[in-house]
Amino acid sequence: MIGAQPHLGFYVARRLLQAVPLVLGVLVITFVLIHVAPGDPITILAGDGGDAAYYEEMRARFGLDRPLPEQLVRYIAEVARGNFGYSFRYQQPVYNVVFAHVPATLLLMGTALLLSTSLGLLLGTLAALRSRSPLDHSITAGTSAIDAIPVFWLGQLLMLAFAVKLGVFPIQGMRSVRYDYTGIRGVLDILHHLALPALTLALAQLALIARLTRTSLRQVLAEDFIRTARAKGLAERMVLWRHALRNALLPIVTVIGGHIGVLLTGAALTETIFAWPGLGRLLLDSVLSRDYPLIMAIFILVSAMVVLANLLTDLIYTLLDPRVRYD
Amino acid sequence: MDLHSTVRRMSVVILTLLALILAACGSSQPPAGGDQGAQPTAPTSPPVAQPQPTAPPMAGAEQQPTGTAAPSDPQQGGTLVVAHTSDPGSLNPAITTAFNVHFVTDQIFNGLVGLDDQLNPVPELAASWEVSEDGKVYTFNLQPNVTWHDGQPFTSADVKFSFEEALLKFHSRTKAGLEPVLEAIETPDANTVVFRFKQPYGPLLQRLDVVEAPIIPKHIYEGKDIQQDPAHLTPIGTGPFRFVEYVKGDHVTLERNPNYFREGLPYLDRVIFRIIPDANTAALALEQGEVDFLFSVQGSDIERLRQDADLTLVPGFGGSGGSLCQITLIPNLTKEPFNTLEARQAFYHALDREFILERVYFGQGSVSTGPISRQMSWAYTPEVQAYPYDPTLANELLDQVGYQRGSDGNRFTIRFTHASSFARLGEVMRDQLKEVGINLELESMDFNAAVDKVFIQKDFDLGVASYCNGPDPEIGVRRVYVSSNIGPIPFSNGASYRNDQVDQLFDQAATTIDRDQRAEIYRQIQKIIVDDVPYFWIVDSEGFRAYRSNFEGFRVSVGPFLETAFRRADR
Repeated sequence: MIGAQPHLGFYVARRLLQAVPLVLGVLVITFVLIHVAPGDPITILAGDGGDAAYYEEMRARFGLDRPLPEQLVRYIAEVARGNFGYSFRYQQPVYNVVFAHVPATLLLMGTALLLSTSLGLLLGTLAALRSRSPLDHSITAGTSAIDAIPVFWLGQLLMLAFAVKLGVFPIQGMRSVRYDYTGIRGVLDILHHLALPALTLALAQLALIARLTRTSLRQVLAEDFIRTARAKGLAERMVLWRHALRNALLPIVTVIGGHIGVLLTGAALTETIFAWPGLGRLLLDSVLSRDYPLIMAIFILVSAMVVLANLLTDLIYTLLDPRVRYD
Repeated sequence: MDLHSTVRRMSVVILTLLALILAACGSSQPPAGGDQGAQPTAPTSPPVAQPQPTAPPMAGAEQQPTGTAAPSDPQQGGTLVVAHTSDPGSLNPAITTAFNVHFVTDQIFNGLVGLDDQLNPVPELAASWEVSEDGKVYTFNLQPNVTWHDGQPFTSADVKFSFEEALLKFHSRTKAGLEPVLEAIETPDANTVVFRFKQPYGPLLQRLDVVEAPIIPKHIYEGKDIQQDPAHLTPIGTGPFRFVEYVKGDHVTLERNPNYFREGLPYLDRVIFRIIPDANTAALALEQGEVDFLFSVQGSDIERLRQDADLTLVPGFGGSGGSLCQITLIPNLTKEPFNTLEARQAFYHALDREFILERVYFGQGSVSTGPISRQMSWAYTPEVQAYPYDPTLANELLDQVGYQRGSDGNRFTIRFTHASSFARLGEVMRDQLKEVGINLELESMDFNAAVDKVFIQKDFDLGVASYCNGPDPEIGVRRVYVSSNIGPIPFSNGASYRNDQVDQLFDQAATTIDRDQRAEIYRQIQKIIVDDVPYFWIVDSEGFRAYRSNFEGFRVSVGPFLETAFRRADR
């Protein structure tokens, strides 16, 4: 257990230190990629219909006329000082723009992760317990079918079904704009708007978790200690919860932890379809408009999030399996 | 309850849920595919555009769209939710031409001069004006008693400041158009502004509206970095609506300006711009009543929305993002095959533009005849060389200039570099050009990459853009055809067209004050350019605005489209 590991603090610190070169690597690669890719932020910076001198002046003003290595070094120096620059499109510090979009994305991704994990575990468990039964086959077929649908289409299908045909959820946005709900009504309003995008994003991850649970649980159920537990006369429910599932969770946690990046990709599409004011959509927008400072800041933030998620995964191991120790 | 019964019960629930989802999917119509390309903040090509030849002039507010009852008297009150495709980011219109900013700020600010529904100049912050005999001096008399939204008085000093510190420095079109010709801006008193030019200047009045030259408050911006000041986020204007709040990525809220200098206007109490990037979602939100106004209906949605009795569709040809736009193919005149006139003529004859208008643009607009949109009726002429669809003639012309068919039936291959929103146009053209032995290779990219490749790198055979004429040919037509505008500039003379006579005529038109005389020069220009075919004009575009029928009074082709909008009393 965490409490039983006196050196855990050092371990976490070491891991975080190790992450620095990783994030730096992401920074350099992203920087080079977005600058080498075709496209130019000049129409965003300067508008259209200007003359050549004006575009040159604007490039110079934003340092875009300098050689790429020089731009990179300047950028890293600024970032090291905690300055992520100004967004071309928002004309304000990148920091303000990014953090205005973080809460919406965390809410969406968190809810989706919760939904997909719980539903995936449930379906996977059902399938493993009823292995090769019609139930198992329909779960496998059903989740695979959903998995095969692209996120943006899945989102539109859910929107057509639940928002347009049934009218139970709103089509777009995170809050009602016509009414100013506050307090508990405000929270309910957000949850009401959250349902469809979260379900979309969750369904997109569902197949992975369900299949993994099924496989992992089946393997564990075949282990000797399960037979021992049953032989001890433990109730089947105890066998499943205390022994089988807990052991089966390890690979699932690993995959979920490593899946944060993919989840954000899905969030970008989901947020676009449902007009959800989050980070994924901001990233997509900023890539399309070549808002370099904004793209860079989001990538740095996301890579930091992935590093943290992996660290968290490793720490969860110690909870699930006392044999895992970091010291 | 034992485990087995739990399992059984849960499986019933889950299977029901799955069945429900699948059933819902099966019964609902498939999502519209559309050719809505990713086009984040295309400044030159607003998501929409405009004109129609045979249709009556689009008269925004006055026009009675088909299928609705007689207009009711305007009444005060109501909240209007407008769908907006893209987050504005910041809200200072004087330093940008971007549609996503102006769509919102054109309701908050004013221009010195406004535009009527046919884009003719009318008084706005300037109550009247005089032009000197020689056409070099414009004197504007400002509206008395106009106040900024924070209560400060509006004066001539604000006008001078807006031009000198913002518009002539950072508004790309106004800077490019006025800076070289303007000598000075003078303010003899608080209510008078004088523009003094180095030479006679004809098009000034058409470029002073809130889209081209919004007036911003001196007392807010003086002494600050006008490009990055946080005042952008809480704009103070003189316009019909004042700013309430902006939640990034989500919405902008405006409220009625009770002290607006136009008595009785505006009618609406509150306006909310809701940011909805996906066009399918925006259309559904309109149908469900989550939003009330959609500036741009994508082609594939037009029929469906038109069937809806609760909605009204009106065509528009202008607004905050640009007016009178033309879908125009840009051949690279510096290399084969487009460096030969006959090859260009053949290419133009090989395109069935009626078909393109119907199938690609869902009939929104009309087939172009030349470099000026037919909606600019005072300057437009149809009396130019026509290039009707004629593959036989095209084949003959190509044979004549020596582009023989190879063993595969192809004469040559052309790469069509385009933003993904033009993908459908590319596919249709590829089929049509095959008939005359031209192999069209499609190179689809995102908007910015395509702009970069065609205009900046000039690494292309054939490009495409939606060039907007603007309220005057001097604003949006000249830049495409004069040789001085060949260079690494977005939406410039991308074809690298050079004709000295055309250059001279454009200069002459700019320094002519009388509009009839200017029109005559533009007619001459159109004839010469169409004979040269340095570009292939496809469609003078038009776009449908759609709104809930309980609203009315929108001015659908100008920047301040909400100034006269109101909620109907009878619905």
